[in-house]
Amino acid sequence: MSLDNLLSNWSQYRKGHEEGGFHDYEHRWGMAIDLDICTGCNACSTACYAENNLAVVGPERFEKGQAMHWLRVERYWDQSELDHPEQGASFLPMMCQQCNAATCEPVCPVAATYHTPDGLNAQIYNRCIGSRYCSNNCPFRVRYFNFYSYYESSWPEPLNMQLNPDITVRDKGVMEKCTYCVQRIRSAKNKAKMEDRKLEDGEFTTACAQACPTNAIVFGDWQDENSQVAKLWKKHEVTRAVTKQNKDNPEKRGYRIFEELNIDPSVMYLERVREKV
Amino acid sequence: MKLSSNKNTTKQIEQTDTRAMSGTIDRRNFLKIMGWGGVGTALSGCDLPSTVTLEEGKEEVMSYLMPEEYVIPGVGVWYASVCAQCSAACGTHGRVREGRVLKLEGNPESPINNGNLCMMGQAGVQGHYNPDRIKSPMMREGGKLMPVSWEKAMSTIKEKIAAARGDQVAWFTGALSGHQFALVANYLEALGSKNHYAHETINNSVWQSVCKDTLGEANPRLRLDKAQMVVSFGADFLGTWVSPVHFSGEYVKFRKQARRGLLVQIEPKMSLTGANADLWLPSLPGTEGVIALGIANSLVKNHNKDISQFPSGIQDLINKYDAAAVTKMTGVDEKQLKRIAELLNERSPSLVLAGAPVEGHANGYNAVAAVMLLNQLLGNIGNTIESAGVFPFEQMQGTVAGTSSLFSFTQAAKNNKLAVAFFHGANPKYTAPTALDFDKALNNVPFKVALAQFLDETTMAADVVLPLASYLEDWGTHVAAYQPEQSVIGLQQPLMEKLYADTRGLGDILMDLLKTVNANEYGGFADYYAYLRQAHAAMPMQNSNNGTDQQAWNASLQKGVIKVTSNAEQLTFNAVSFDDPVVASSDAGTSTLYLAPSARLGLWDGRHANLPWLQEAPDQISKLVWDSWAEIHPSTAAKLGIKQGSIVSVKSEHGAVNVKAVLLKSIHPDVIAIPMGQGHEFYGRYAEGRGANPLKILNPTKEEKTGELAMYATRVSVSKTNQSEVVVKMGSSDTQVGRRLVVTMPVEQYQRSEGA
Amino acid sequence: MAVNKQNKKSFGRIGALKHNWNIKLALLSILVALAVYPFVVISSDASIDDVIPPVGTHVGEDVPQPIEFPHDIHVKVNKINCMYCHTYARRSKVAGIPPTSKCMGCHKVIATDKPRIKELTEYWENKSSPPWKKVHDVPDFVHFTHERHIKRFVTDRDFPVENVKEICAFCHGEVENMTVAHKVKPLNMGFCVRCHEDNGGPADCWTCHK
Repeated sequence: MSLDNLLSNWSQYRKGHEEGGFHDYEHRWGMAIDLDICTGCNACSTACYAENNLAVVGPERFEKGQAMHWLRVERYWDQSELDHPEQGASFLPMMCQQCNAATCEPVCPVAATYHTPDGLNAQIYNRCIGSRYCSNNCPFRVRYFNFYSYYESSWPEPLNMQLNPDITVRDKGVMEKCTYCVQRIRSAKNKAKMEDRKLEDGEFTTACAQACPTNAIVFGDWQDENSQVAKLWKKHEVTRAVTKQNKDNPEKRGYRIFEELNIDPSVMYLERVREKV
Repeated sequence: MKLSSNKNTTKQIEQTDTRAMSGTIDRRNFLKIMGWGGVGTALSGCDLPSTVTLEEGKEEVMSYLMPEEYVIPGVGVWYASVCAQCSAACGTHGRVREGRVLKLEGNPESPINNGNLCMMGQAGVQGHYNPDRIKSPMMREGGKLMPVSWEKAMSTIKEKIAAARGDQVAWFTGALSGHQFALVANYLEALGSKNHYAHETINNSVWQSVCKDTLGEANPRLRLDKAQMVVSFGADFLGTWVSPVHFSGEYVKFRKQARRGLLVQIEPKMSLTGANADLWLPSLPGTEGVIALGIANSLVKNHNKDISQFPSGIQDLINKYDAAAVTKMTGVDEKQLKRIAELLNERSPSLVLAGAPVEGHANGYNAVAAVMLLNQLLGNIGNTIESAGVFPFEQMQGTVAGTSSLFSFTQAAKNNKLAVAFFHGANPKYTAPTALDFDKALNNVPFKVALAQFLDETTMAADVVLPLASYLEDWGTHVAAYQPEQSVIGLQQPLMEKLYADTRGLGDILMDLLKTVNANEYGGFADYYAYLRQAHAAMPMQNSNNGTDQQAWNASLQKGVIKVTSNAEQLTFNAVSFDDPVVASSDAGTSTLYLAPSARLGLWDGRHANLPWLQEAPDQISKLVWDSWAEIHPSTAAKLGIKQGSIVSVKSEHGAVNVKAVLLKSIHPDVIAIPMGQGHEFYGRYAEGRGANPLKILNPTKEEKTGELAMYATRVSVSKTNQSEVVVKMGSSDTQVGRRLVVTMPVEQYQRSEGA
Repeated sequence: MAVNKQNKKSFGRIGALKHNWNIKLALLSILVALAVYPFVVISSDASIDDVIPPVGTHVGEDVPQPIEFPHDIHVKVNKINCMYCHTYARRSKVAGIPPTSKCMGCHKVIATDKPRIKELTEYWENKSSPPWKKVHDVPDFVHFTHERHIKRFVTDRDFPVENVKEICAFCHGEVENMTVAHKVKPLNMGFCVRCHEDNGGPADCWTCHK
């Protein structure tokens, strides 16, 4: 890939979503996360560990920020002026936002991260050389680097028998991130194709959405207007490809984090609600 | 917004019991045959580091010997079973591929968890595949546990039983239910013993006792979905109280009503439920009952609630605690108290709950009774608190498991009343406070048998250790103490062949023991499976069809739950008299702080400290990992000169623990909270030598009415040491520093845009 | 698909027979013959003109197997379909090494005096399977799926199932001329991608790498 090519591809790419997209997407996977019913319980995060062969790094490496939690539940205190947080905590399940104009993609020197035809941010482990530029460029800090080989430390026998054979265990020097459970997407798609039919909404979901005890996470094909996720986006008047939502009813709860950065995230959050007593 | 997310996706749930259908093969052999075929193919999913080999002939691939039709290499099959990570008995689906169970998910057929599963349930596979499991029976020889054969272990046990008087035999278990419970009960009965000690540190025994006394039912159904407002005194129903996954589902319904349900949480240290409250109020441990009475007072005085229905003693108590008095005593703002009463009056029906911080005092019963009284005053009984009915199979229900068993067992052992004790599903040597002298009591029991998967503290003290199969390898039935609208029995089945041939299921061990004491009744059963099959066939149940016994069994296996009918009754409230719930404020000298041994959804009471996922999962509130810590309010910390990460010595009358301080405002300034779960001396590589166990330094105070351990009644002095350590936690910023990460909307706006 | 039905039927019976050693041999051989019958290739005139097979060769090593399985006898001489034994190929990502019960289905009565069959019978009687060595292996970060290739090249094109070996040969070479399998195609990324380009397969990396 010549430099000229790279630059022209990039500028095209950056403009792409503003001009209505640069792909004919077959699907566009998206999410809606209702922060009012997310209780911060961590079930999603643990489900992600189980599904995606996430390494357990131990306290020493955790301290250095090397934990591999693709989906982490952040906790913020909002009422710092008070003696006690009267309205509790603010929880935020944070995973890769599968940006449509992702800042991580154009900086990869080897094209190990790219945009898939179903609107996902792919990470190809065997292509990755570990430059970590992508992680550096991610505003959400949701890319995780394998500073070590964790196979033996994280899965001493027979713990390794739990590993999901549908996805690779990543080795040292490789970047990894939330894939929206691509193995589930692809096996559902596979099943549909084997049966000569279209994928249906609700036929499968990601591990986090499956586990959520309050069903706060909804996953689906944003392009299928009958899908639950598309309906939610519509209901809350959140559209793609904008840096600022222009709602008919500004009191609707939907918002996207950091959309002002012109990255077009695929996760819509619904505002947390509190009643002042 | 419709929240029915797609929990039951495209899984095909198999009826596993093709074991029996294959006729000529007994079930164990069948599992062996289908079990280990795919090791080669399976492990190829996990490349060994830096050894990407494409050389032909380097990897072995074992074929199946004789697989069932539905077993296809490369295709996962789901089986229904039951979660045994806590006693809520959620239904699970396990994904099995090439004979290995890979992932657990909630079973949508179970009305308890409706397809969802918490983090502990998800981590069940890590207990099953844990590298520190016990692989063979052991016996103490020359002070050390040495491997022996099953024959030797069992014959020794039977000899000891034969030599002991029947009533000198005891079982010490966790919350046990279903047929396993029935077998333990039958075993003890056959020996003429009544010594079943059921122990759970995280429990709601006092609440159950108050419910039983006032409503006639220990576990009435709580209708969060119908409540307009919930006031919870420390009941962490989203995290650690009774049936968290079930209540999480109900919580959504509560929030998504036409008018969004309002949650007020009052507790010493913020729980997961507190973190989700609209109003979180810190309470001084032991004052919750008074706060409840203050609210009752305001309801009577300002909102015309009927006080005359209560006995005069209670009327006096309500009258005694007017808002001013309560404020003086508890520090809760008078206006806030009145406002809560006003809201409770306005938002009817409501629901008022009490959890461990209310129960955990010498007069915890009184405090819980004061809370329950609010429900009656507000007309919630029969409305949001419903009869759960009588579970039709009483012998499967299990007993209330709590902490009074620690006292009674210790007492019996000290008085030399026990000759043989079996331990299963509980680790009292770890959970008993030092002051209880449990270790000494244990030494007084001449022969101790531990049925365990791991070498925990209690198991290490045993004379014979019987290695248990994990709950993913074993048969069983589970009956949750708290039943949802549809009562169910959970049916647990093995999801895979046993990892270690020399482990055995609890049921099989019990059958073996029963055969020696009651051969008439049990001699005919080949094993526990055969017993369960017969028990199932004899069970009148809703989902039995007109088919054969085999078909009914298959249907039960496929569903994972057996639906049964419990006839609900009309609940009536019988006011019980109780004394002033105030905690006598003794002069505690330098012990100025209350110790809150807080429960964590994750490590639980310490039983999950050996699961790496749960160790690495941040605590929901403090976000710390892999450690113990003491939560302390910044203002208190400032007074004591304590900084984030300072190692502090927390000292009670009965001992001290050193932990690092974590400064959080989500705690009452007079409370220091140390989460339970760490501080294991033994429990495998992930748990050992990590952090401290707050249970050890508790005062051995009893709740007077129920005999439970008063967990929140210990005062401690806190002093800093010269050391400090880095606090290992997730996230460096506690605030959003102006970014729009979690946006909060006032409820008025929400009602306009989404409410009805 | 007829293959499917027949396959399952014979499969179940053989399974049950395992513990009924006394069943008369005559009956058994009739059953086996019936089961195998549909897989016997009668003619071979199907066209693969609309497909551009992948290009590339590889000189494979000799992989010593626990039992020197003669593919040639089974495929060329006895004309048994590939998917009769590698039965999972059309319904899973892996083609599957046939379960030992499948071998025994025939070899309980056929060629029981041959040394290899005696060895096989020994495994069977010990309730174990021969530890076969993997010949066609791809790295663990490659997730190849057989079922979709069978669907694309066989089912969707109405390609006669009896000739499926021609499709299998794209990647596995002419196994009918081998005893134990040899790797004769490179099975590297270029080999795969070129075929995907030529035949309109997906070019998304995440199709195979995840």
